[in-house]
Amino acid sequence: MNRQTAPTDWKAPAMQRRIAARYAAERRFKAMGLGAVLLSALFLAFLLTVMVGNGARGFTYTHVAVPIDFTATPLPVEPSRLGDPDADQLIANAGLAEIVALAADEALGENGSALISDNAWKDVRRAIKDDPALLRAKSVFELPASSLVDIAAKEGAAGALGARVDALTREGKLARHIHWSFFRNADATDPALAGIWGALKGSVLTIIIAFLIAFPTGVLAALYLEEYAPKNRWSDLIEVSINNLAAVPSIIFGLLALAVFINWFGLCQASPLVGGLTLALMTMPVIVIASRNAIKAVPPSIRDAALGVGASPVQVVFHHVLPLALPGILTGTIIGMARALGETAPLLLIGMRAFIGDVPGGICSPSTVLPMQIFLWSDEVDRGFVEKTSAAIIVLLIVLLSMNALAIYLRNKFEKRW
Amino acid sequence: MTHDELTIANPKMKAEGVDVFYGAKQAINNVSIDVGTDLVTAFIGPSGCGKSTFLRSLNRMNDTLASARVTGKITLEGEDIYAPSMDVVQLRARVGMVFQKPNPFPKSVYDNVAYGPRIHGLAAGKADLDLIVERALVRAGLWDEVKDRLGESGTALSGGQQQRLCIARAIAVNPEVILMDEPCSALDPIATAKIEDLIHELRGKYAIVIVTHNMQQAARVSQRTAFFHLGTLVEYGKTADIFTNPKQDRTKDYITGRYG
Amino acid sequence: MTFNAPALLFVIVGLALIGWLAGRARSALLAARAGVKLHSRPQYHGWYVALWLFAPAALFLALWSSVSPALVTSAVLETPAAQGLPEFGFERGAILSDARSTAAGRQAAVRLPAAAPLVEPYRQAAQRYGAIGIGAMLALALAGGLYGYSRVGPGLRARSRVERIVMAMLLLASLVAILTTFGIVMSLLFESIRFFRLVSPAELLFGTHWNPQSGAPQPGTFGGIPLFWGTVLIGAIIAMIVAIPIGMMTAVYLTQYAAPRVRRWVKPCLEVLAGVPTVVYGYFAALTVAPALREFAAMLGVPNASSESALAAGIVMGVMIIPFISSMADDSINAVPQAMRDGSLALGATPNETIREVLIPAALPGVMGGILLAVSRAIGETMIVVMAAGLSANLTANPFASVTTVTAQIVKLLTGDQEFNSAKTLAAFALGLVLFLVTLLLNIAALRIVKKYREAYE
Repeated sequence: MNRQTAPTDWKAPAMQRRIAARYAAERRFKAMGLGAVLLSALFLAFLLTVMVGNGARGFTYTHVAVPIDFTATPLPVEPSRLGDPDADQLIANAGLAEIVALAADEALGENGSALISDNAWKDVRRAIKDDPALLRAKSVFELPASSLVDIAAKEGAAGALGARVDALTREGKLARHIHWSFFRNADATDPALAGIWGALKGSVLTIIIAFLIAFPTGVLAALYLEEYAPKNRWSDLIEVSINNLAAVPSIIFGLLALAVFINWFGLCQASPLVGGLTLALMTMPVIVIASRNAIKAVPPSIRDAALGVGASPVQVVFHHVLPLALPGILTGTIIGMARALGETAPLLLIGMRAFIGDVPGGICSPSTVLPMQIFLWSDEVDRGFVEKTSAAIIVLLIVLLSMNALAIYLRNKFEKRW
Repeated sequence: MTHDELTIANPKMKAEGVDVFYGAKQAINNVSIDVGTDLVTAFIGPSGCGKSTFLRSLNRMNDTLASARVTGKITLEGEDIYAPSMDVVQLRARVGMVFQKPNPFPKSVYDNVAYGPRIHGLAAGKADLDLIVERALVRAGLWDEVKDRLGESGTALSGGQQQRLCIARAIAVNPEVILMDEPCSALDPIATAKIEDLIHELRGKYAIVIVTHNMQQAARVSQRTAFFHLGTLVEYGKTADIFTNPKQDRTKDYITGRYG
Repeated sequence: MTFNAPALLFVIVGLALIGWLAGRARSALLAARAGVKLHSRPQYHGWYVALWLFAPAALFLALWSSVSPALVTSAVLETPAAQGLPEFGFERGAILSDARSTAAGRQAAVRLPAAAPLVEPYRQAAQRYGAIGIGAMLALALAGGLYGYSRVGPGLRARSRVERIVMAMLLLASLVAILTTFGIVMSLLFESIRFFRLVSPAELLFGTHWNPQSGAPQPGTFGGIPLFWGTVLIGAIIAMIVAIPIGMMTAVYLTQYAAPRVRRWVKPCLEVLAGVPTVVYGYFAALTVAPALREFAAMLGVPNASSESALAAGIVMGVMIIPFISSMADDSINAVPQAMRDGSLALGATPNETIREVLIPAALPGVMGGILLAVSRAIGETMIVVMAAGLSANLTANPFASVTTVTAQIVKLLTGDQEFNSAKTLAAFALGLVLFLVTLLLNIAALRIVKKYREAYE
């Protein structure tokens, strides 16, 4: 014990230097922390900027004003039959496409029909069906431009095409309108026609099925585990499988669905039904875990009070515990559903990858979902799909972020009432 | 026995007109007190009276709470501890603290004690650090119990041993003052007796301030006692006087068990 | 009559509703009569009848939908038309499934000529068994409903009975989790065993060449090592190098330094980052990050810089994981008792010394558990690697090169026009089994660590 026990000399220069160094380390550390936060925020901002920058243009489309004179080139269709179910076929057979192409050549000069979309006549058809009087008149139609013209008008282009687009713009024949087809149509090979309505409807059907299955099952399972389950090996096994399922890669659920729902049960491939079942299995553990936490947060005094006035254990749970835990359960469910809505991988395996040109009619018809549509479009070679992809991403993000915001709002509103 | 005089000729710490606020709420109101260098000072009072709050303002632990604000003047050896020139890291090394519940770090016994000297750079080398650790453990009366298990986790010790480990940890940075915030309230009577013996041992080497709501303990270990009530210092004096002949009615009522 | 399970389910739900109304009405009538005292309130009698009607029929429905396809197939195999089928193998299965699809109307015409004669037997057998199933189900529903209805009376403890059934339903709901796990294990195992009959497990696990071809399995083309390496490189190395420091530092800053107001804003932002779907990250990686990295690599003069690189996928995946790591670390650091932090600060430690020397070591088990879960999530992530990492199975440590992963290959093997029973599609299940087992181990280890840690501070 020969170490001197005199007071430490805190004023010594060496000690002062040491303390200065420690404070410098402190500042560096704090700056690193702030840097990490800023980096995450920056990435989020960058991602959103890129998506919005690319995608905002996807909501508009370049249209070309083309006058069509049906009095000069009549369409051989009886106006009275335009309400028939096969009117679309009738008009197509009557040669509307050729009439529109001719009108474009005439209005826009040489090769003018190449400037409008190959499917522009379908817009004319829709207009005629809405207003049969057009068949007897000369009117100007705003027709979707071809994908190349659209890109050239938005981004500018060199060469002959660029010059021609510039000229048309100066003449006031080109205009950008909100691209209603984008919200009205299903997938198409032509970016002028491709829309998200089919995928959106597929997503809604799929998520409804997933919700109808996962929500009751998840809540009931949580009630059982939290309120009634005896402490034994079975309960432990259930608990372990739920916790594990919540962390199993989503693609494994796709394999399960492929093997069981499609190959064994023979359910309809690529349908919202199978997609919903798959996502239900995937979401259920999330709902169970969130519900259990919400149920756990209901104070035991509520249960004691209800039991004290003679309610049966089932009545206690369904009349008192469940209503009080509901906000927490809903929060977890919304988050789970948002995750399911953004999920792609398992749906790839059950055949939802295919090109679906129709809006799905029911839960058993082939369909696609919004994230899958994004994936499919991201693979397209046609440059017109780049902004479509980003525009679809914006729609998906708006839906998902509002769901998450709702969940966060619910959580903050109902959190810690006890 | 000069240090038993009430007027403290050479106080280690001096508080003058100290107020502590938590947000808008005032927890301590105009407290002035001297802490003697070679004395054990006890702060007593009913729970919620502000004695722990005041203790925490002596080493600026209140700084860790964003809402806490301290006004008035507290000096250590004449230096204002709330002055901008005072370095809080140094201050806390000079004014050590032992908490209500033993809080050893989840590290080995050795590393628990060596933690302070390491961060402050007090040891010249490994051998020196060994010596500091050993001396601190000896002073804390723990050496014989743990010298063969220095590598074991500090959390594996018994509650009383953990608290003495925390005292050793505070001693190892060579402090001038040790603040103890109800150090025995989580311990059994035998462990409490050991800590009280230890406080006797340490008296004279460090200025010690102990917060307790156990009046017998205050009477046993301290030479000075301060009685706090509702955030004010009601009475401060020699321990023997406070317990046998309190000047204030409130002190008398508390001592005799009317409230508390 | 074809057997349409969803439609039939609607039918019995409708019948159960009628049963509920009938049961309630009868018991209400009884209760209104003088001198009759019922044990339970009328709606419980309603539920009693409805459950008796619904449960047996629904159970039968579930049972019948799972066994009837097998029954139909075996009936078809007994017809003379089936005698010409090849004995074993993929062809037999393909012909049968083609005929089945055509008979069910899922496709307009057969694709394989050999399937044509089987379509009609399939249709007949399906109709026969469909009629049997529907008849039996309706009979069961009726019998159950009538039994329940006849029991309604003063002596019936309807509430206790209904509650017992509710409890059984709760138990059943919780068993769905076990059933799902069981289903995953069985379907993966079953298909994997079929794969391992064609290709040895040793080749899949230790082979270094991956190039599966259609048709009969070629030896030496199912070596999984390049995939496993790619998965580890992207998910466990690059993504973690990005996510662990940023996630940890974010958590440290938010818990220890940030003002409450900052925390209130930043945490939802992180949740937004966590809520972005993976396909968006994948698109971002492919569209923006990968080309930038390729140019960067070309600038450095790295050979084989590909537009689809391990680095692009790994970095973006790391960003995706940041919120996950930071929230786990946040929880773990918050779980360390305040006394620990005070103890360190009271010794004169600076906040960063306290964090590095005391808080993080104390929180380490929880953080480690979180990192294991994050790795498990990263190696199971699919869309980012499918879109940004590429599909070429290279065994390379060059992060600018294109590598492929287990999940990307599962997707590749199972999409496109494939015979379901070929070695290629079966390989996807074998890869799935490997992935499932690895993530299972990681998850169980992580959950155990986290649980132990939580107990230590409670």
